Amino acid sequence: MKTIVIGAGLGGLLSAARLSKAGHEVEVFERLPITGGRFTNLNYKGFQLSSGAFHMLPNGPGGPLARLLGEIGADVHIIRSEMTTVRVPLKKGNPDYGKGFKDISFSDFPSLLSYKDRMKIALLIVSTRKNRPAGNTLQAWIKAQVNDEWLIKFADSFCGWALSLKSDEVPVEEVFEIIENMYRFGGPGIPVGGCKGVIDALEAAILANGGKIHTGQEVSKIMVENGKAAGVLAESKEHKADLVISNLGHAATALLFREALSEKIHADYLKMLETLKPSAGIKICLAADEPLVGHSGVLLTPYTRRINGINEVTQADPKLAPPGKHLTMCHQYVAPENVKNLESEIQMGLEDLKEVFPGKKYEVLLIQSYHDEWPVNRAASGTDPGNETPFTGLYVVGDGAKGKGGIEVEGVALGVSSAMKKILG
Amino acid sequence: MKINDNCVGCGQCASFCKKGAIEVRGRARATDACVECGLCIPYCPVKAIEVPA
Repeated sequence: MKTIVIGAGLGGLLSAARLSKAGHEVEVFERLPITGGRFTNLNYKGFQLSSGAFHMLPNGPGGPLARLLGEIGADVHIIRSEMTTVRVPLKKGNPDYGKGFKDISFSDFPSLLSYKDRMKIALLIVSTRKNRPAGNTLQAWIKAQVNDEWLIKFADSFCGWALSLKSDEVPVEEVFEIIENMYRFGGPGIPVGGCKGVIDALEAAILANGGKIHTGQEVSKIMVENGKAAGVLAESKEHKADLVISNLGHAATALLFREALSEKIHADYLKMLETLKPSAGIKICLAADEPLVGHSGVLLTPYTRRINGINEVTQADPKLAPPGKHLTMCHQYVAPENVKNLESEIQMGLEDLKEVFPGKKYEVLLIQSYHDEWPVNRAASGTDPGNETPFTGLYVVGDGAKGKGGIEVEGVALGVSSAMKKILG
Repeated sequence: MKINDNCVGCGQCASFCKKGAIEVRGRARATDACVECGLCIPYCPVKAIEVPA
């Protein structure tokens, strides 16, 4: 069985590693000179910044990505984060970090509610495990249960950090699937070596299985014969294959087989393509001599204007920064209407950080933004259309085809796993 | 180095620039330190950096 993988991002390499392990003859084509896509390290002034992701696996050593890496035999050490904390104002009615703040544990979020609402939440935590809410956005669902602005802010900071969406954009079903996965697999972890630690291990596995990875080779066409994928055209050369896996998302993949698409026969697929919306975000990378977050987990910041959450990966792997330095990464959601105002969005993020870290010394290393063709997610979480395409033997993986309830790379892993199930049985 | 409207501001180019000549804030901009070596061009994921004429 000959398999061609288009794109050496996380989804592509996971698929290549899994299929080469199953005995497929695998070739990966990557147009950039580097592998890893938005999940690798960028060396910047001696710091291991990332090309996209936050050097974090949302479900840590017990999650879907870790499990898939284990199945493949990719050797990655994932350090479970110690805690997730939430920075809240000292006085609830005074929602301004400038007037003082305290950090509470993620699971203590009900402590800011009235006694009556705390009881309500306690009941909901039990009842929703059996009767999952559905048919609403997270925000509309919360508002129907408990009328407290704090819960919306908390939900927005979590959705902003984890999905780069606002709580009124996320289907409540997706959030409860995420919560279920938190129970099932546990909270976040950091791979030693950062994102590239994972990518290196995957490449080693692919090469050990006899697979090939070509960088600097762009696929310009997916060949389709009799409704079935037949190979690709890369740098004007035809490569035949029995199976083609694209890591480019459905929209960009469709551009590669547009000649084979028929407006009549594939009307539903074409309609679906139009509904896909990539999510946008900004990452501000900070260097500091003293810890800013102080633990290896996530610090959520619900009372800022823009920043949703922050992690400090050097708490788990000090080698991600030069000796004695910390690398702290801050994420902010960007609303679709603000993608054209990135400068002012960034300015608000930087102002937020002054209030979140008063009196702390840090240097802004690099500010990275992601949207449209190079987004946070090619399909906003909760809207992923699955792995299938109109053609047999052609599958889409990656952040445009995530599995349900998987945050970011966990969703990529779940999507790859379901594609592998279809292919390998 | 000319950077076109495809640029999303991911900063990938800045990390490969040997001269520290790329500033990023919402999008990339080449500073006066740029020597037009073109090394950054293939690293751009959205083909935003154009070959100097």
